[in-house]
Amino acid sequence: MENKLREIRERVLQNIEDARASGNLEQIRVGILGKKGELTGLLRGMGKLPPEERPRMGQLVNDVRAALEARLEERAAELREKEKQARLEAEAIDVTLPGPERSAGTLHPMNIALRKMVEIFVGMGYEAVEGPEVEFDHYNFELLNIPKNHPARDAQDTFYIDDNIVLRTHTSPVQARIMTTRKPPIRVICPGRVYRADEADATHSPVFHQMEGLVIDENITMGDLKGTLDEFARQMFGEGIRTRFRPSFFPFTEPSAEVDLTCANCRGEGCRMCKGTGWIEVLGAGMVNPRVLEMCGIDSTKYSGFAFGMGVERMALLKYNIPNLRYLYENDLRFLTQYR
Amino acid sequence: MKVPMKWLKEYVDVNMTAEAYASRMVMTGTGVEGVEKTGAQFDNVVVGYVVSCVDHPNSDHLHICMVDVGQTEPIQIICGAPNVHAGMRVAAALDGAHLPGGKIKKGKMRGEVSMGMLCSGPELDVPAGLYPHIGDEGIIEIFEDVAPGTDVKEVFGLGDDIIDYEILANRPDCLSVWGLARESSAVLEEHFVMPEIAVEETGKGTFDDYAKVIVEDDTLCPRYCARVITGVKIGPSPRWMREYLYGAGVRPINNIVDITNFVMLETGHPMHAFDLSKVKDQTIVVRRAKPGEKLTTLDGKEHVLDESMLVIADNENATGLAGIMGGEESEIVSDTASVLFECAAFERANNRVTARTLGIRTESSGRFEKGVCAETTMEALERACMLVNMLECGSVVPGAYDHYPHPAEPKSIDASVARICRRIGVDVPGETMEDILNRLYIDTTLVGDDKLHCEIPAFRMDMETEADVSEEVLRMYGYDHIPSTLMNAVTMPGYRSEKIVFADRVKDALVGMGLYEVLNYSFISPRWIEKLNLPADDPRRNAVTLRNPLGEDTSVMRTSLVPSMLNTVAANLNRGITAGRLFELSKVFVPAEKAGELPEEKAALCVGCFGEDVDFYTVKNIVVWLLAKFGVTAAIEAAGDGYYHPGRKAVMTADGVQIAALGEIHPDVAEAFDISRRVYVAEIDLDALMPMEKDFYGVKPLPKFPAVTRDIAVVVAEKVGAGSMMDLIRKTAAKTLEDVKLFDIYRGDKLGLGVKSVAYSITLRAPDRTLTDEEINATMDKVLKALNQQFGAELRT
Repeated sequence: MENKLREIRERVLQNIEDARASGNLEQIRVGILGKKGELTGLLRGMGKLPPEERPRMGQLVNDVRAALEARLEERAAELREKEKQARLEAEAIDVTLPGPERSAGTLHPMNIALRKMVEIFVGMGYEAVEGPEVEFDHYNFELLNIPKNHPARDAQDTFYIDDNIVLRTHTSPVQARIMTTRKPPIRVICPGRVYRADEADATHSPVFHQMEGLVIDENITMGDLKGTLDEFARQMFGEGIRTRFRPSFFPFTEPSAEVDLTCANCRGEGCRMCKGTGWIEVLGAGMVNPRVLEMCGIDSTKYSGFAFGMGVERMALLKYNIPNLRYLYENDLRFLTQYR
Repeated sequence: MKVPMKWLKEYVDVNMTAEAYASRMVMTGTGVEGVEKTGAQFDNVVVGYVVSCVDHPNSDHLHICMVDVGQTEPIQIICGAPNVHAGMRVAAALDGAHLPGGKIKKGKMRGEVSMGMLCSGPELDVPAGLYPHIGDEGIIEIFEDVAPGTDVKEVFGLGDDIIDYEILANRPDCLSVWGLARESSAVLEEHFVMPEIAVEETGKGTFDDYAKVIVEDDTLCPRYCARVITGVKIGPSPRWMREYLYGAGVRPINNIVDITNFVMLETGHPMHAFDLSKVKDQTIVVRRAKPGEKLTTLDGKEHVLDESMLVIADNENATGLAGIMGGEESEIVSDTASVLFECAAFERANNRVTARTLGIRTESSGRFEKGVCAETTMEALERACMLVNMLECGSVVPGAYDHYPHPAEPKSIDASVARICRRIGVDVPGETMEDILNRLYIDTTLVGDDKLHCEIPAFRMDMETEADVSEEVLRMYGYDHIPSTLMNAVTMPGYRSEKIVFADRVKDALVGMGLYEVLNYSFISPRWIEKLNLPADDPRRNAVTLRNPLGEDTSVMRTSLVPSMLNTVAANLNRGITAGRLFELSKVFVPAEKAGELPEEKAALCVGCFGEDVDFYTVKNIVVWLLAKFGVTAAIEAAGDGYYHPGRKAVMTADGVQIAALGEIHPDVAEAFDISRRVYVAEIDLDALMPMEKDFYGVKPLPKFPAVTRDIAVVVAEKVGAGSMMDLIRKTAAKTLEDVKLFDIYRGDKLGLGVKSVAYSITLRAPDRTLTDEEINATMDKVLKALNQQFGAELRT
C-alpha cells in the first residue's frame, strides 16, 4: 500500500509537470481526487486494513492528497499566467494603423483671427456689438464728418443702393450709431463685414471685414490710444511687437495716425515682407474729431475719445502668413483644412 | 504728385539725400509713395559721333557706321534709320545697355558685326517735348557740341530725383511746389524763399481794350482773374521748364501751354489759356448752363448739360466746362498771337458733381474739388505773366480783370496749451507750440501761459478748430513722443453681444461636428437665384440691388445662402476634392417694404455636404444635434422648396415656427450649378432659433427602480414614417417611457409588397416603484393599438 501510494504520488506529480494547459490539470485532479479517483479508491479500501494500521495509512494518504492538491493549485496558477501572457501577446495590434477617417472642422481663418482680436479687447473691458451692413449715408459718412461731394469719399469707393443708402464702407457707422444712442463712458468694438468697390486681387477684396474700436470718456489721450494698440499688438503677435504712429488724415479723427506694427516676420530687422522697413502698416486711428462728437450729441468740452479701425483679413494674412487675400474667399478645402 | 528735387530746391534748401528727405516728410504727415529718377528707363546710352556711314552690302536699307563713343577706337554699329549720316551726333546704346524694349547685346546683322544700337526717341522713351530734336522718324540727332562718350541723360536733362508725394485730402495746399517747399521748410527748419512777383507790362492799352469778362454766378465762381498777352510767339519753352514739367509727369507742349501747366504745378492754381482771337466778341461769360445745352470738349466728346453746371461761354454758346475742361475753338495753336490767361476759383462740391455726372476727370477738376484757395488766385496769374516776361514770348497788357466780390474773412483760432497737451497725451511747452506753428506759417502768439492765438493763413483751408491745431503741434513735435499709456478711467465690463455669442456657439458646435467654415461675398448674381427654380412670387426673388455693382455676378444682396454654397461645392469638386462638409453663417437681406428704409438683415446658416460618406441623414443629424445643443426638439416632415429632391427633402418646425429646411439638391438644380454629384444642404434660421433656446432647469433625480425593456416589431405600409411611429410611441407611453430606439427595418418577400417591418426597443420605468407585468403589458397593448389605429400597423408574428 505504501508502495502504491509512493508510485501514485510520483506518477501524478510527473503528470502535473507534463500538463500543458490548465484544462489538463482538471482531468488529472478528477482522475486522482475525484469521486472515482485512484486516491479516493485507496481511501475507500482502508476498511480492509487492520485497525491499528488505519490511522497511519490514513495519514499517509492525506499527506499525498495534500501534496498533490497543493501542486495542482500551484501548477494551475503557473499555466493560467502563461496562457494570459500568450493571449496578450496574440492581442497585440498595429498602433500605427490610422483610425477611422474623421475630419476635424475649423473656423475660417478670418474668423480665427477675428475671435482673437475680439477676445483681446473684451479682456480690456470693451463691449463687442454689431451694426447693419446696409447703412444710411448719414451714419456711414455724414456723421463722420464726410459730407456729400467731399473728396474724402473718393478714398472709399462706395456701393450705392440709392441716394441715401450704401453698403457700409467701414465699421465706423456703428460708432456713430453708438454715440448717438448712448452716454459716455463708451468702450466698444464693432466687428463686421464692409464693402468697397474694388476689384479682387492679391491685396483687395470688394467684401472684407473690419473691427472698429471706440472709447469716449473724460481725459482720454492719444497716449491711451497708443497704449491700447501696443497691448493689442503684443497679445496678437507676441512679445516685442510694437506700434509706430505716423501722421495721417481721416475726417472723423483729429489728430489722425496710420499705425505700423513691428514686422512679425523679421522682428523689425527688415525683410521682404516689410520691404526692408521693419514695419507693416496695419490700421488707422486717431482722437475722435470734436465735430463728430458734437454731431452725435456728445459734449466735446467734457469728453474726448479715440477710435481705431483695423482690417481683419489683413491681420489674418499677417498672423498666418497667407500670401494672397484671394485665398480667403475661394473656400478651397485644401486651404481651409490647414487651420486649427 | 510728382516733383523734381531740383524744382523744390529752388525754394527751400534740402541738404540730404532724397530718401532721407522722404522719410522726414513721411514722419510729419506728408506721404511719399517713392523716390525715382527721370530717365531710369534706360542706361548705358552715350553721345556718339558718326565717323563714317556706308551701305550694308547685304541689305537695301541698313548702314554700317563707325561711331566714336569716346573709347580709344570708333566702334561699328549697324543702323537702319534713314536719317543716319556721317558727321552727326547720335545717342548710342552700348553693349549691355538696358532700354525700355530690352537689353542691347553685340551681335551680327546680316554678316556684319554690330556693337550697339543708335537710338530713336521712342526707343529711349524720351518725348519730343523734352528734347526738341527728337523727330517722329529716325534716330535722335544731337546738335549740342558735346564730347562723344558723354551720358545722353546730361544732354536730355534727365537723371534728377523725383519725389512722388501722396497728398492727404485735407492738404490741397501741398498739391503744389510752393506748398511743398513751405511744408518742407517747416519740417527741415530751413527758409522758404518765394520768388518776388513783379510783372513788366509792355503791351499797349489796357485789359478792357482787348476783352470783356462777365461773371454771372458768384457762388459757383467766387473769384475770376484774367490777363491779356499780345504779340505772342509760340515756340518751345526753355530747357529748364521742359525738364521740370517732364519730371512732374506733364508733357511739354509749347511755351504758353507750358506756362499754364508750370504755374498750376508751382502754385496749385489750375489755369487756362484762350486764343483770344478765337473767342467770339472777345467776351467771356461765366454762367450756369442752359437746360439741354450742348458742348464739345477738347477731347472731342459732346456733352448735354443742365442748369447745375457752370460753363465758360461767349455771348451765345458754352465753350468750356468751368474748371474741368476747355473747348476746342479757342485752343492755343502754333499761330496764336494773343492770349487770355484765366485763373479762377470754382466751388468744390459743384465742380465735383459736374465732373462726376459727365464722367470727366482732369488734373484741373481734381484740384478744384479738393479745394483751391481763392485768396492766392491773382498771385498765380501774376506768376504766369512773370514767366511770359522771362520767356520773352509775348507782351503783358497793363491791367487785369479781377472779380472777387466776397473776399475770405481772415480766420483765427484760440487754443489752450493745456487742452492740447491733454488731447495728445504729450506735455509740449507753450513756447514750443508757438514756435512750431510759426514755422508752419500760422502766425501764432502765446498769450499768458495757456492761450495760443493763431492767425490761420488763407492757404490752410483745413484748419478750423483747436483739434486741428493739436494735430499740427503733434506731427511737428513728433508722433514718436506719444507715450504708451493705458487709460485712467472707470472699469467697464467687457463682453460680446448676445448675438455674437450665439453665432460663436453655433459655429463651435458645427466645427465640433467636423464642418469647415466658408466665406462668400454678400452679393451674388441674380442668375444664381434664377437657377433655384423658385416660384415666380417667391420672396427670395426680390433682392436688394446695387446701383453700381462691379459686375452682374456681384449685383444683388443675397436672399439665400444656398446659391453661394452650391458654387463653393462646385468649385471644390472642380479642384478634384471629392468630399467635404461646409457651413457658412452670414446675413441675408430682405428688402424694406417702404422705399428709403434699410433692408432687414437676418442671420442665416447654410450647411453643404458632398462626397461618398454623406447622405440625407448626415445633414439631418447635423441639424438635429445643433438644435439639441440649444435644447430645441423640432418636428420633421417631408416637404420643402422645389430646389430639393422631391423625395429627399424635409422641413423642421419647433413651436410652430419653421426653423430649418434640408435635403438633397434636385439634380436639375445641381446641374445648373455644374455639379454632377449628390449634394446635401440644410438651411437654418438662426434668428428664429436664438429665442427658442431653453434654459437648463437642473438635473432629474437618478432612478431608484429598475427599468424594463420590451422589443416589438410591426408591419406597416412602406409610406409610413418610422420616425412618425416613434413619435406616437413616445406620446402614447409617455407616463412610463424612458427611451425608444429603432433597431431594425426589414423588407422581404415573406412580408409581401409595399410593406415593411419596423422593430423598436422600448424601455419603461417608473420613478417611484417597480413596474408590474400587468402595467407593462397594458402600456404595450396601448402602444400597439395606437400604432394600429393611426398607421394600420400590425404586430409582426
